Amino acid sequence: MNHGLNEVIMIRNYIKSAYRSLKKNTGFTAINIMGLALGLAACLLIVFYVIDELSYDRYNEKAGRIYRVNEDLKLGENKLQYAVCMAPLAQTLKNDFPEVENAVRLKKAGSIHIKKGTEKIREDYIGFADPSVFDVFTLPVLFGDVKTALVEPNSIVLTESMAKKYFGKTDVVGESLLFDDRETMKVTGVIKDIPQQSHFRFDFLVSMSSLADSRSPEWLRSEYNTYVLFRKGADPKKLEAAFPQLLRKYSGGQMQSELKKSYDEFEKGGSYFRLNLIPLTDIHLHSKMIGELSAAGTVEYIYILSGIALFILIIACINFMNLSTARSSNRAREVGVRKVLGSARKNLIAQFLTESILVTFAATLIAMAIVVLVLPGFNVLAGKELSISLQSLKWIVPMLLMVALVVGALAGSYPAFFLSAFQPVSVLKGSLSAGFKSSRLRSFLVVFQFSISIFLIIGTLVVYQQLNYIQTKNLGYNRNQVLVINNSFEIGNGDKVKLLKQQIAALPGIENATMSGYLPTSQWRNMGIYYKDAVPDQSRAIFPQVWRVDADYIKTLGMQLVQGRNFSKDMPTDTASLIINEAAAKFLGFKNPVNQTLYHSKDYQTHGEVSPYKIIGVVKDFHFNSMRETIAPMMMVLGEDWGRVSARVSTANINNTLDQVKKVWSGISPDIKIDYSFMDAEFDAIYRSEQQIGQIFIVFTSLAIIIACLGLFGLAAYAAEQRTKEIGIRKVLGASVSTIVNLLSKDFLKLVLLAILISSPIAWYSMHRWLQNYAYRINIGWWVFAAAGIAGIVVALLTISFQSIKAALANPVKSLRSE
Amino acid sequence: MIKITDLEKFYRTEEVETIALNKLSIEVKTGEFVAIMGPSGCGKSTLLNIIGLLDDPDGGSYIFNDTEVAHFNERKRADLRKHNIGFVFQSFNLIDELTVFENVELPLIYTGVAAADRVKRVEEVLDKMQIMHRRNHYPQQLSGGQQQRVAIARAVVNKPKLILADEPTGNLDSSNGNEVMELLTDLNEQGTTIVMVTHSEHDARYSHRIIRLLDGHTVMENIMI
Repeated sequence: MNHGLNEVIMIRNYIKSAYRSLKKNTGFTAINIMGLALGLAACLLIVFYVIDELSYDRYNEKAGRIYRVNEDLKLGENKLQYAVCMAPLAQTLKNDFPEVENAVRLKKAGSIHIKKGTEKIREDYIGFADPSVFDVFTLPVLFGDVKTALVEPNSIVLTESMAKKYFGKTDVVGESLLFDDRETMKVTGVIKDIPQQSHFRFDFLVSMSSLADSRSPEWLRSEYNTYVLFRKGADPKKLEAAFPQLLRKYSGGQMQSELKKSYDEFEKGGSYFRLNLIPLTDIHLHSKMIGELSAAGTVEYIYILSGIALFILIIACINFMNLSTARSSNRAREVGVRKVLGSARKNLIAQFLTESILVTFAATLIAMAIVVLVLPGFNVLAGKELSISLQSLKWIVPMLLMVALVVGALAGSYPAFFLSAFQPVSVLKGSLSAGFKSSRLRSFLVVFQFSISIFLIIGTLVVYQQLNYIQTKNLGYNRNQVLVINNSFEIGNGDKVKLLKQQIAALPGIENATMSGYLPTSQWRNMGIYYKDAVPDQSRAIFPQVWRVDADYIKTLGMQLVQGRNFSKDMPTDTASLIINEAAAKFLGFKNPVNQTLYHSKDYQTHGEVSPYKIIGVVKDFHFNSMRETIAPMMMVLGEDWGRVSARVSTANINNTLDQVKKVWSGISPDIKIDYSFMDAEFDAIYRSEQQIGQIFIVFTSLAIIIACLGLFGLAAYAAEQRTKEIGIRKVLGASVSTIVNLLSKDFLKLVLLAILISSPIAWYSMHRWLQNYAYRINIGWWVFAAAGIAGIVVALLTISFQSIKAALANPVKSLRSE
Repeated sequence: MIKITDLEKFYRTEEVETIALNKLSIEVKTGEFVAIMGPSGCGKSTLLNIIGLLDDPDGGSYIFNDTEVAHFNERKRADLRKHNIGFVFQSFNLIDELTVFENVELPLIYTGVAAADRVKRVEEVLDKMQIMHRRNHYPQQLSGGQQQRVAIARAVVNKPKLILADEPTGNLDSSNGNEVMELLTDLNEQGTTIVMVTHSEHDARYSHRIIRLLDGHTVMENIMI
């Protein structure tokens, strides 16, 4: 016979018998395929998420050559890291260093109202940019001239979707937009929307030349996000090495004239400012500095999620192998018959491998379908906009095929090589199965799986507890029932905002009201510099948050004074008074801070002039940063900051009060829409990403456990099947149903207990490490381990008992009928 | 001891209903040794299972020791069974993972006999069956005859009033088979009632009476002399 034809017939025969064997054991096959498909799908989703996070800023064609310049500042004991640099730096770098091909500055502008017809629309994503932005970053221009678009003052480049929003079309070069009722901006270009995976998001780019400050020659003030594009082959390290010299050269003179100190004296005092570079592609996950253009991702979540994905994949693969090998022993007879009929060992190996790989391919297809189905839901859960594009299919499909092939081959190899090696006579006699059911390997795999599952349960419990701790911790202020008007600054007139505050405070449903943009939950921040002595000495400086608040602030936000008194409207000297927090008192080393005097310099270039401030009170520490950080020193000064108006609302009839507040607002500012929120919601928003991560953990942990249980379910069924005869005998001899259930469950429970013992210390260590990221954290209680252990046991028991009870209830007559 | 009247049992598959026992009536007196014979599929094993309280009849009456048990539920049957009936099977049905001693001990565990008492009784029985020296071996390490002796030891360790034997010599050579039949005869002479299903006329001759079945009916009863 033709050899090739023979091969084809053999392969057809493999596939046919594989298909029939799978069909005959529908239950097993379903569990097997579903478990693997679920695992692969979960894994894929996480891979999508991780790849999305890792792909930030990689859309830039020159991404590998773009670096951002950061500034480290140390002033006395204060250490700060800035993502922004001095205004002249970019141009200087371009002039002085041939390896710098180009440089660009970006600067976030605040919110701006843009007029569209009669409507005023608030836009939050507006930034200033040098003309070189189009050379450094990859921002495809649809209309307009790249070279000149951002050269002239009051030029603006907007994104495609903004063009459509304001003009209904994209070719809008030459049109104009009115900003804040004041400035007419001429549209000089339209770009494609900036990709989601960018560490900055701007809908409008305004020419840097529109900003007078951008031409400032000051080297002691940092406000510009500065990016450098290196020439091909240039070494960024070389530029970094030249930074100290550069700073000395350009800032030395200004330091002498403004701080009355030479650069060397400044450094001798223990202070410094230094520049360093961060690769563009590291910014999103690794950079959390002052002046970032957007909230960063957290690289540790990427590690954790990747770990979970790997765990799930391992669990699913173990399942698959366990079930496949378990089931294959039932086919010993088939192997025997085939061998007797002349099948060579390699044919049998080929057959088992074919079957196994066929199943993994099916699982892969199902996994893909699951991913497509649940991706929208996952996006909601993760706060992402992931999609499957042709682009991603290019790597997904080969990756999945590889996984399918490897898992299939691994799972198939055990039965393939193990069973095919048996002598047909012994296999036919059935003497094989005895040794097979107590497979050490399988026990090991079950322990491994459950160790991972219990590890994940413990991890999730700890993460959730920590998140809950953050949510319920006494923050030092009361965030409940605080109504915040976020856009009172848009009124643009301090007296009007003051009037707004007064009228709101007078409403019957309002307990207190305060006017200040600085809130624990807002992004509005200001740092100042205070010295302990009238003659400024950097080594005795404190660099705290300085918030301008009014006399009603502490009361309205429910903060607590631990020493001294609050600001008073009736004390004219209070404008030169400070209320500091406990952290600042500690930092300053004051036992009795009240009545101590600090000296304030407006910034560190005001020619050394200082004004005295007297500390009149100490406020109990309250959280205004992430719980990951310790509470920093902060001070309050009496002043008028009309950024926001906040009011404590009494619980009764909030809706009515809200209506009245709106009425007050429109009486004062009829053409601007009020933008209000409640402080507790703002607080939740700050921790939303942590909440999301917490939910993602729960979902995937549950999945991991479900998959592990699917495997256990299958194995329990298999074990029960293997022991049918024994169960029958025991029943004939008088064993009760519960005795049989015990007998069958005991073996698995032992494995689960072992898994608890193994995973608990590992989980404790890992979670302990994770918690170190939080300055404020929970202690891991013993009950976490107890709960995880009990959960593991209960889930395993439920899973097994279904099979055990089924086996125990079966009529022994059937199993004992002599074959 | 056993009084069966108009016993019926059907087996249903998807389409076909098979009548295994058709209005069968038999009686076994205490101390009797009865053999049930008949061609394959005549209902012998079904009858034995019902007598052994492993299976329930679909109709008719079964009085065991003056108690109507035809409608007993699983739990009650199991309870009655473990105290009164011992089983011997053609394929021995020993548990591979347990030693000879543990196999024989099993029924005593299930009837709640205290540990010390169990050791005594198991040793006594193993001694009687002459397999004491094999007490720590596993079933696979024994010959067929030895395995069946273990199975009989297990069947009698609880001192049952009735022993049901389903082709007890079917897997044995003739000398081992004869040995097993001698053992059963001894047990019977000590007062145990025995009901045995067999294909072998030779074995049947050990009994007092042969009940011949055909298609679920009693066709003939021979009294052995």
